Amino acid sequence: MSETAILSANGLTRHYRMGGKPVPVLEGASLDLMAGEKVAIMGRSGAGKSTLLHLLGLLDRPDAGSLKIRGQETTTLSRRARARLRNDEVGFVFQFYHLIPELTALDNALLPAMIAHGPLAWLGVKRERKERARGLFVELGLDDRAGHRPAQLSGGERQRVAIARALCSTPGLLLCDEPTGNLDEHTSDAITELLFELTDKYAQTLVMVTHDRELASKADRLLTLHDGGLVDEGAQAPAPRAQELSA
Amino acid sequence: MYRFFLAGRYTLARPVSYLAMVSIGLSVMALIVVLSIMNGFLRETENIIRGSTADIVVFPLQRDGPSSRAALEGLVLGTEGVAGVTSRLVRPAIFKVHAHNNPLLWNSMDASRSQVLVQGLDITAELAASQLSASLAGVRRASFQVEDPDDPFYIAEADIRDPRLRNADNPGLLMGETSMEVWRLQRGDAIDLVTLPDGIDLDGEAILPTVMTFIVAGAFNSGHSNDDGIVYIDGSVARVWAGTEHELSELYVTATADWQPVERLGQLRDTLGVKFTDVGERCLVDTWEDRHGTWLAAVKNERRILLVILGFFLVLVCTISFSVLTMLVQEKVRDIGILSAMGITARGIGSIFAMVGVTISLVGGLVGLGSGVWLATHINDVKDWIEAQFNVQIFDRNVYAFSEIPIDLDMTANLYITVATVLGAVTICMIPAWRAARLDPVEALRHE
Repeated sequence: MSETAILSANGLTRHYRMGGKPVPVLEGASLDLMAGEKVAIMGRSGAGKSTLLHLLGLLDRPDAGSLKIRGQETTTLSRRARARLRNDEVGFVFQFYHLIPELTALDNALLPAMIAHGPLAWLGVKRERKERARGLFVELGLDDRAGHRPAQLSGGERQRVAIARALCSTPGLLLCDEPTGNLDEHTSDAITELLFELTDKYAQTLVMVTHDRELASKADRLLTLHDGGLVDEGAQAPAPRAQELSA
Repeated sequence: MYRFFLAGRYTLARPVSYLAMVSIGLSVMALIVVLSIMNGFLRETENIIRGSTADIVVFPLQRDGPSSRAALEGLVLGTEGVAGVTSRLVRPAIFKVHAHNNPLLWNSMDASRSQVLVQGLDITAELAASQLSASLAGVRRASFQVEDPDDPFYIAEADIRDPRLRNADNPGLLMGETSMEVWRLQRGDAIDLVTLPDGIDLDGEAILPTVMTFIVAGAFNSGHSNDDGIVYIDGSVARVWAGTEHELSELYVTATADWQPVERLGQLRDTLGVKFTDVGERCLVDTWEDRHGTWLAAVKNERRILLVILGFFLVLVCTISFSVLTMLVQEKVRDIGILSAMGITARGIGSIFAMVGVTISLVGGLVGLGSGVWLATHINDVKDWIEAQFNVQIFDRNVYAFSEIPIDLDMTANLYITVATVLGAVTICMIPAWRAARLDPVEALRHE
């Protein structure tokens, strides 16, 4: 794990309006994420975990506070610039996979790379990106599923395609919202292993929102959301992963 | 790149997209076919009118005595833009089948049919300058066709059906084809034409009509319904029959090809009018359009009304495109959230859906243009096929006096129709595309 901060959030505040009244969700949440760090965020339902993830992923803008990615302040960026930064630096894995049903598994995985390039530039990098995606598919055990549509895949396979999509463009930051919340225990373990293994391999920072304490225990650090703020539970000795157990 | 890719996939993956394309295509096709038929109808109507009359008709008023045919024709022939001229002596008459009762005594319908306009022709000049040759060739029933198109009033003695009239030297006449069918006449039948001689004074003294028996030499068919009320006889015979000193009632003027356009014919008409006035001849001078302008205007008006009504198809097309794209955006709200999470800008999102709208509209428009032009070109084959398959009559040639459905493809107008339809559909599609672009990605991701 490198000691360079890839993300630095300070005093993030986000209120929603319900029935004309402001409902505070985040009240001054702060965190720093180092490159290659694995962080789990826990909290009760409605504590604002997904809201925090959306803010960290530049999908939403905080009402107050500062958010820097690789030292660049993002809260003052235009919508377009934030979209560009999101494409470059952030990968998302959602609980319900959120694959595009009209595309094959491989095309889903290639989409962020396609978005990053203009038509001509894409022709230049297409082969290399396809090879990378196919390599990821092999690592994720999906090599014979590349041409399948999401509807033809199991839940575990869909989530692995979603992981391939998030990793294919090698973003610095991977944000996972309950990545195993919709999977059975066996598949959940396998997916978790793959997530940690691949983010280790590509030195990516992993932020995982989860209710699963066992999953959270595998992270380098555990944060809990309480009363709109982040409480650092401190570094934890990561639980042994399957590979380590088998070794 | 991703815009084309996603727009293509969204379009191709949804059957409703094809349905929208077909709807747009059908609308464009219908507009093109209707416009082509109405243009064809108008063109054929003009052709028929022009075939049944001259480019310009001159009516010498002759109130101070007969006009000199040679002088008038010479005056006309010396005018720039005139290709030929012929004169006709026209008289109203009662038509009666020889040796039968007077039809006026039968019933009102036959009475009206038996009133005809007899036109005495200078056959040599007519064949050279008018559409008579085409009218003779236009006769559908072979047994009605004249024996010698260069001498159409000729009929062989052996063909005269009443033996008592053979060797009687009765002159020949030509009738409209439909009239011959209605009266159940054949070539060689004898006809009496009854008229009033010139110079009678309607002050109570007895009026003696002039009657002459003619032999039907054949039929003509200009395609115009006026054919039914016209009978052609030789001009010199006409003067004897009508008992008149007049050589002509009308001058039929044919313009050269470069003077055929309506505006130039109007100029020629005015020039002739001035020339006649200069030599002291009082004449009415009309172009073919002056004489039939009201009817042509009615046809044009009908075309306009039909196009306005069919123009509502454009509204339908826009509604369909709007609905299809709105449904797509509603269905893809979560996709919009995912795409935003992957870094697509709001403009990028909007352009994906706009491209879907453009693709549907463009493909639909082009399919409509292609199928419309094809159907318009093959409308008679399609009509024949439907009539044969379903034993129905779609087009009654006797009603319209056309042998087939007339078509006149105006590709410029067809392109305008296609472009207007596509533009309308694309424009309306920008609304749901704009709504898609404005969706909040977080709300979109939470969308159930």
